[in-house]
Amino acid sequence: MKLDALHSLIEQAGQVIGKTWPLYGFVTSNPLSGYEHIPFHKALPEAMLQLGNSVYPKAETFRKAYTYGEIAHEILIPLLEKNGIHESPEYCLQLMESDHDLEIQNPNQLELNRICSKWLAAFLDEGVSEWTMPGREQGFYAAWRNLAKYDRDLELFSNSHIPKTAAEAITLALGDVPEEIKLSVLKSHLAALPGWTGYIKYRMETHTAWQEQFPITLKEYLGVRLWIAKILNLDIKQENNETPENDTTGLLSHLWLTAWEMTWQRTLLGALKTAKHSTDAAKVKLAAQFVFCIDTRSEVIRRHLEKQGPYQTYGYAGFFGIAMDYKHPNSGVVRKSCPPILPSAYEVCESALPERQQDFKLFQKRTNNRNFFTYLLKRMKNMLPATFGYVEGTGIGYGFAMFIRTIVPGFLYRRLHNANPAVEGVCEPKLMPKNMVNDHSEIPLSEKVAIVGSAFKLMGWREFAPLVFFVGHGSHTANNPFGSSLDCGACAAGAGRHNARMLARLANEPAVRQALNHEAGIQIPETTVFVAGEHNTTTDEVTFFKGDIPEGHGPQIKKISEDLTRVQQQVTQERMPFAHRSVNTAERQAGDWSETRPEWGLAKNAGFVIGPRSLTEKINLEGRCFLHSYRWDLDPEGEALEAILQGPMVVTQWINNHYYFSAVNPQNFGSGSKITQNPVGQFGVVQGNGGDLKYGLPLQSLYISDRESYHEPLRLSVFIQAPRNWVSRILNRHENLKNLIANQWIHAVVLEPEQANKAYACTPNLDWEPIEPQIAHEAELEENEVAHLVFAQ
Amino acid sequence: MNKTFKRKIATRLQNPSRVGFLSLTVPVLHWGLLLGLVLLGVFSVGYKPDLDLGSLVHLNGFTLLIGITVALLGAIISQYAKNYLNGFEFQERFMGLTLGFTLSVLLLVAAESLAILVLAWMSMGFHMTRLIGIDSRWSEAKEAGRVSGRYFGGSSLLLTVAIGILALQTGAFTLSELLSNLDRIPKALQLLSALLLIASAVIQSALFPFHRWLLSSMTAPTPASGLMHAGFVNGAGVLLTLFAPLMLKTQTLPLLLILGGSTAIIAQFSKLIQVQAKHKLACSTIAQMGFMVMQCGLGFFNAAVAHLILHGLYKAYLFLSVGEGMTQAHPSRTPHIHISLIQGVVVGIYGVGGALLFSLLTGKGNSWDSGLFLSMIVALTVGQLTYNVVKQKSLSTAQRLWLPPVVFSLAIGLYSLLYSGVTSLLSGMPGVLQPQPISITHVVFAMLFIIGFFVMKLGLYHKYPGIYVKLMNLTQPVPTTILAAKTNPK
Repeated sequence: MKLDALHSLIEQAGQVIGKTWPLYGFVTSNPLSGYEHIPFHKALPEAMLQLGNSVYPKAETFRKAYTYGEIAHEILIPLLEKNGIHESPEYCLQLMESDHDLEIQNPNQLELNRICSKWLAAFLDEGVSEWTMPGREQGFYAAWRNLAKYDRDLELFSNSHIPKTAAEAITLALGDVPEEIKLSVLKSHLAALPGWTGYIKYRMETHTAWQEQFPITLKEYLGVRLWIAKILNLDIKQENNETPENDTTGLLSHLWLTAWEMTWQRTLLGALKTAKHSTDAAKVKLAAQFVFCIDTRSEVIRRHLEKQGPYQTYGYAGFFGIAMDYKHPNSGVVRKSCPPILPSAYEVCESALPERQQDFKLFQKRTNNRNFFTYLLKRMKNMLPATFGYVEGTGIGYGFAMFIRTIVPGFLYRRLHNANPAVEGVCEPKLMPKNMVNDHSEIPLSEKVAIVGSAFKLMGWREFAPLVFFVGHGSHTANNPFGSSLDCGACAAGAGRHNARMLARLANEPAVRQALNHEAGIQIPETTVFVAGEHNTTTDEVTFFKGDIPEGHGPQIKKISEDLTRVQQQVTQERMPFAHRSVNTAERQAGDWSETRPEWGLAKNAGFVIGPRSLTEKINLEGRCFLHSYRWDLDPEGEALEAILQGPMVVTQWINNHYYFSAVNPQNFGSGSKITQNPVGQFGVVQGNGGDLKYGLPLQSLYISDRESYHEPLRLSVFIQAPRNWVSRILNRHENLKNLIANQWIHAVVLEPEQANKAYACTPNLDWEPIEPQIAHEAELEENEVAHLVFAQ
Repeated sequence: MNKTFKRKIATRLQNPSRVGFLSLTVPVLHWGLLLGLVLLGVFSVGYKPDLDLGSLVHLNGFTLLIGITVALLGAIISQYAKNYLNGFEFQERFMGLTLGFTLSVLLLVAAESLAILVLAWMSMGFHMTRLIGIDSRWSEAKEAGRVSGRYFGGSSLLLTVAIGILALQTGAFTLSELLSNLDRIPKALQLLSALLLIASAVIQSALFPFHRWLLSSMTAPTPASGLMHAGFVNGAGVLLTLFAPLMLKTQTLPLLLILGGSTAIIAQFSKLIQVQAKHKLACSTIAQMGFMVMQCGLGFFNAAVAHLILHGLYKAYLFLSVGEGMTQAHPSRTPHIHISLIQGVVVGIYGVGGALLFSLLTGKGNSWDSGLFLSMIVALTVGQLTYNVVKQKSLSTAQRLWLPPVVFSLAIGLYSLLYSGVTSLLSGMPGVLQPQPISITHVVFAMLFIIGFFVMKLGLYHKYPGIYVKLMNLTQPVPTTILAAKTNPK
């Protein structure tokens, strides 16, 4: 086989696996992203075959939704009939219930998988082991080749028979495999350990520092794997190629899912229709404006905040439009802080504020000492025989710490949380072009203006209050390997605070404002101040970085702080209706090391509304919707809309599809229960004693208990207030967006502004089909107990 | 907001889900038990607690000491698990097993009757097996449960035979009776039962080559692992201490030294190559258990008991916080730092100073006997600490000088306090403090420890890829306990 041909074959085979992100930057992506070019209902059975996983919600889940009225009878029946199914819903449910998880077990490959996992875990380690795999810097294949002769599992006595390169190994191993099934053989071997291979894919595509030093590719992996198979005398061809004959339950599940989504869409549209719309004009003078992330958790806090006073809120992607990496002053580690779909153009690093030089030195010193302390403990624990003396000398201390952390976690959280000396107080962020970081020169004015200008353009901003807050968000949890999955998805699973600080700084620069006025016609009053803040999504506390606030705003800030305290109280109470003191409970959950469900993250997400806040202001969306501010009337060319669909919509689709698959199959698409997870390599988890790297959300992020789910696995419905032909035009222009909508990985619904927001759903042929809102009447609701999707008015 | 809506939201947001009866009561029972034992201990200060309740159970200092330790661990772990395992299908079963385990340990250390002793040992193994395989929906867990069941079953069998021989030969039914009549047994049978007893003990403490069950036990929920590594594995320490006179009489201490010492060294090197957090902790546990058995082998059974308590607290903490540390690191080799002569002198002085303080406070190493070995460990630990501190640039010179003595004095002081407490509580037990005259085995192991120290310090092991692979394979779990499918909750 020619080398090029082999490469393209491997690349093609790699489509069957998704990408596994490291847990320190957990990006919720679609595990089936390689299938997005085919329709959802066709992709799923194929993936099921390849990965042996169930892909639709359980019959039980449908039954519950149906009993609660979340799947409306009058929507379900016509849909079933249209597809030639005339049985009763009960019969359908029973049929689906009789279908069991097929467990594809390949006993012959167990040994192969076990040995591969062993070597992959050793090679991919990112700092746990002190004695790392010898020869890692030569790459995976070469390193393994040198060590294979010692591996008792293989019973080799020298490496002389192992081919020198991975390509050779693959070619030889595939020797007698017929040309036409080569691809499927490679696919099955990549899909055998999708978590590990997904991580290789991640490293190959993102070129992490680890990848640079210790390179590994899918080709190298296949070389190792196929050659081990050869040594063990395994038939590499075996795979399950039977297509499922007449998959009735698959079809039924798909229809029920669709009916569920349609019910949800119609109910939301009903609420939109009946809710009173506020009129922008009659507002009192605005005291402050807040920009939150489009995240579903922002909806709840925005709803409560707006009721507190003359405040206006906006939704904008949480990276605040700055495609940047952030260099952490503590560790010096550079991490991505913008959506993974966007290449980082900038790097932000911190420098001391001129008047806080002294404090900054102190901060640095503390950081150094803390790092040293960590290092010291690690050395003492590892070194022979210091470790024995160490354990005897510190055991009582560990016992005491264990006692305190178990007995008073909430108290501990409040103490540590408040004592934390923050970098925000002593530093200011500086934005530099990614490729010129060493010059320490800031980006040119024109780019600053573009960043700030596009923020206001995308959100459809018209007037400025005296105080404008950019509020990023992050979570605060303890002992949680999946902590970053609760952070901002738009910041590559980091907290958005630094992006917010950066944007506030740029928008406060007089030169930027002047240029904005001249070039873009955006007039920011001189009295307006931009302030950055952070929404702690675990406790719903909002903190400001007060450095930016000039003198004289004291009373306003005080009032706003008081309002935010009230908001925290209300929001936590809404999230935890049973808690007596909800703020305390939330703080306890944030600090408690025994808490596996510190917050629900983006669970229950189901919709994305692109339009002005006035559209949804009076509706309780239950934290189920992403909200992006947008004004079609201020966007004559549809450019802003195009940017929103290309960026934020794709990010929400990643999140939504990830939640969907982790929920329908928590063991395989999700990472299973947290209680038996075993962290590996400082970047991931395996279950129990080892095996494949896990790549999805844990059970506890989606389920109330092992049985009862919390998340409702619905595909995202994107509601766009804009003319239909604009959306059609944009979809036709971007193949990837067209795929998502036409193949129904997500749904698009347009609210036609010229026809009083009449709703149209996008069909697989990209036509627009009118849909009728379902307006719920209270009386009727009491009777039928189908209240879940009714929104407060 | 209408009424129905409110009600609906309430059921949907229910978190945490309902907590079962045992989950509510077991932590409370543990705290109660702890309080009771502590009070008992306080009231019996002054006169040695030595309560004989017929020929079945007794209550002495050792009972109290181990009882308080296991009650504390049980209380913290069950309190933790009440929240951590919320929603877990088998949470109630977990709580029941935890309570059962605590009571088994209590029974073991309170056993006067030999039959009760053996039953308590079996009961500990039974409860731990059930905890490892608790998730019966999961084939890997079931398999891991079976594996550990075989080990613990073997351990119980060996113990039964050992005690059976001793009981038959002496005609004793109780422990104290048996220990005071050891002389009646022929030497060969004494030795045989001692060897069986040692085998039984080191299986439970997962010493090489009986370590596989521990490395295959990660199917247990995290708090169960905490209980296992902090409580269950200490079996050897407890059993050997109870039978210290037999060990002394049969002169099997060198065997304990060799078993424990070599395990400690191999396991500590194995720990360096681990990439999975729980397996790293497991290798550390094996090494620490090796050290504990080695302390027995040096004639310091009381030090072994102190070690098992302190290690229990240490390891329970590390298991309960195992989810920490998902951080992005930078690939960098540990910088090789040269130490100046003067720094070297400081390291030496402080090391010796630490050892002297240790000897002074604990009485270990005061005379020319096996206690010197333990002082040497202290000297190397203090030296290691000082070495790291004196070359740390972010600290001022003064800090580099005063930090090590303050830290090591505090640590040694705390340890000595606990050690004297343990010693005085154990003073009624025969043979628990019998320092041995220096022998060639001691010298060899002292050398091995020092060589191990330098091999690690200088990173010499990096040159031996063959050993890397050997250790990697040595510490793999049993193959059947990984990669079997886990089915989704129905």
